[in-house]
Amino acid sequence: MAAGVTPPRRAAPRWLTGRQFKRRPAGAAPGLSLAMESVDVAVRTLPSIGRLSRGPPFGRAHGRFGFSPSGRPLPPAPRSEENVDLQSTAFLLHKRWTLYSVTPLYKFSDAHLRNYARLLSAFIAAEKQKGLAVEIGIELDIKVAVSSLPDLKGSDQDHAAILVQLLSRSPASSKSSEDKLIWSGWFCCVSGDGFPENLPEDFTCLPLFLANGAESYTSIVGSWFQKTFDCYFRRLAISPLSLSWMAAMWTGCKMGKTASAIELIFSVPSLPQPLDISYAIHPEDAKALWDTVQKTPGEITQEEVDIFMDCLYSHFHRHFKIHLSATKLVKVSTSIASAHCEGTIKFLQSQYLTGVLMLLTELAISQIQ
Amino acid sequence: MDETVAEYIRRTVLKIPRDEIKSMLQKWGFLSEAELQTINFHQIKDNISQEVVQLCEENSADIKQAAVLDIIYNHIYPNKRMWSVYQMKKTGEEPEIFDFQSFKKKFKRRLLSALENVTINFREYEDNAIWIRIAWGTPYTKPNQYKPSYVVYHSQTPYVFISASVLKSNMPLLCQALVIASSYHDIQEMELRSRSLNSLKDIVFKRYNQNFKTYCPRPPQERNAEPESADLRIIHENRSEKERIERVTWEIFGDGPQPQLEFAQYKLETMFKSDPKMEVLDKKEPFRCLVKFSSPHLLESLRSLAPAGLADAPLSPLLTCITQKARNNFKIKEKRGFFPGSFVSP
Repeated sequence: MAAGVTPPRRAAPRWLTGRQFKRRPAGAAPGLSLAMESVDVAVRTLPSIGRLSRGPPFGRAHGRFGFSPSGRPLPPAPRSEENVDLQSTAFLLHKRWTLYSVTPLYKFSDAHLRNYARLLSAFIAAEKQKGLAVEIGIELDIKVAVSSLPDLKGSDQDHAAILVQLLSRSPASSKSSEDKLIWSGWFCCVSGDGFPENLPEDFTCLPLFLANGAESYTSIVGSWFQKTFDCYFRRLAISPLSLSWMAAMWTGCKMGKTASAIELIFSVPSLPQPLDISYAIHPEDAKALWDTVQKTPGEITQEEVDIFMDCLYSHFHRHFKIHLSATKLVKVSTSIASAHCEGTIKFLQSQYLTGVLMLLTELAISQIQ
Repeated sequence: MDETVAEYIRRTVLKIPRDEIKSMLQKWGFLSEAELQTINFHQIKDNISQEVVQLCEENSADIKQAAVLDIIYNHIYPNKRMWSVYQMKKTGEEPEIFDFQSFKKKFKRRLLSALENVTINFREYEDNAIWIRIAWGTPYTKPNQYKPSYVVYHSQTPYVFISASVLKSNMPLLCQALVIASSYHDIQEMELRSRSLNSLKDIVFKRYNQNFKTYCPRPPQERNAEPESADLRIIHENRSEKERIERVTWEIFGDGPQPQLEFAQYKLETMFKSDPKMEVLDKKEPFRCLVKFSSPHLLESLRSLAPAGLADAPLSPLLTCITQKARNNFKIKEKRGFFPGSFVSP
């Protein structure tokens, strides 16, 4: 790890705000909402009353993320292949995705995906005319493809994921096989059960959006969706609390001999000379520790996550006399996935893909409410 | 002049910041002062380098002469490379007078007998530092001038600083050549790496130590008397603890600037111990971890941890021993029979 790992932070882009989705005065507990507008703010929220939600493979879903001690159900064995076509989702792995929460889309229909692709294409061309495209001087003919990913969902209530891809065709060739993928983004909802209550018919709920590619394209695509479906995108930061949940849960997953280390990266930017600390634990040893901590039958509690993290912190303190708990946890990396507090994720294992998406869906839903 | 030489000179000049080009060419001394006068050093670098190549062409520069320019560049900007430290060992105690000519001859002979295709250059500097540049080839290919290894050897010391190219396979040969040429018996890599060559020298030659304890004996609280608040109602609650932390930190790190290192890495193979009440892991095997600290200036960063409240004072000896032990790469195993607070680094 080179010095100064944490990339410079910048505020989330301010897009056009569409008509705000009206919040329903639901029976859910008020609780603190995670303030994630600017990625500079990543507060450790106090746990609120409610239950942590989960769906397979991490267990059944009920309440909202980040809440205490009832905890989340235990992760069962990895998802069996028959439920997920691993081939079709392989392209999602090993890429860094930037996370956003999206309010429900108004009058979105799966039957019109081709139309949307056409309209978005025209919009992008118009934006380029206005001079808002990324690369100056490069004439890119951009083609848009919008498709549905029926396998990416948690329960039947979820809406299937929607994938948007921007391809560039060099002016010289007209063969579609030579199109180059320059940007992708997908909306999904994995086990967003019961969110929101009493959703009117015209609304489609796809609260999580993941983007990979140039920021300016994300901005253009996002603007079009916001204008067309009256929704609102917001960068989704991941708090240190959520990151430690991910560390604990992913440590507990059964992995083969090829498992890589559980790596936690802490940052101390406020010193005269910034310091980054990478703390990597052998996956077998980390799992052994977690297995002794995780005692509640059928679920994981906030308390267990705290104990697990405290064990790691105190082992570190024993050696270095440094209080890791006073630093900021910015990144968690395991064989399953790697997540950064700025709100980026990399999926590394197909069979745990939906499990991780479930967590992220919850985070997104939390941010919207 | 060979095209490859021309291209190499052109690229080397392009690396140099524009304001420095003239002085570096003067240090190089290959082009005469009169020739240098003909170059316009205020145009864009592309054009400057073309003019330089043109003049070198007229003077039929060869690769060895071009390599000297590369040495000069790296001597002024050593921080662009990562340096490792090696220590040579002698069994006998007879002090040998260092003969530069003999060193060069033996070094070249060893390398050339193994590899025909190498470019070797030497340059001696005032502080007794000998810079050696080696461009490596294979029996079938010419030396790759763009990935040379650099060796800095202070002949009065057993220490060698090496910035290897990516071709690690040449290291054993390089080490052997150094040992033979300098009449030592053995060479060993120390666990110390950094981009700051001068800091590595400071650590290994113990130059950083001279600034405190004997030189400036007064502890901080007498020197940095904080301006007392005019308002007597404001008091520092933890003043004595704060002063203790400052004093302890000063005792460890001293006053002066610390040598500059970018990272410290620890491979931990110690047992996991916890509060027995918690009933967590109690294995007989080590809890294996790898910890890496990174910073633009690691030691300054560590120095500020305790005063910032992020660490206990005194800081762990694992961190404070870095300069004294001249290493930033450690393997820590459990020491048997001792209180768990103490560790040994093999």
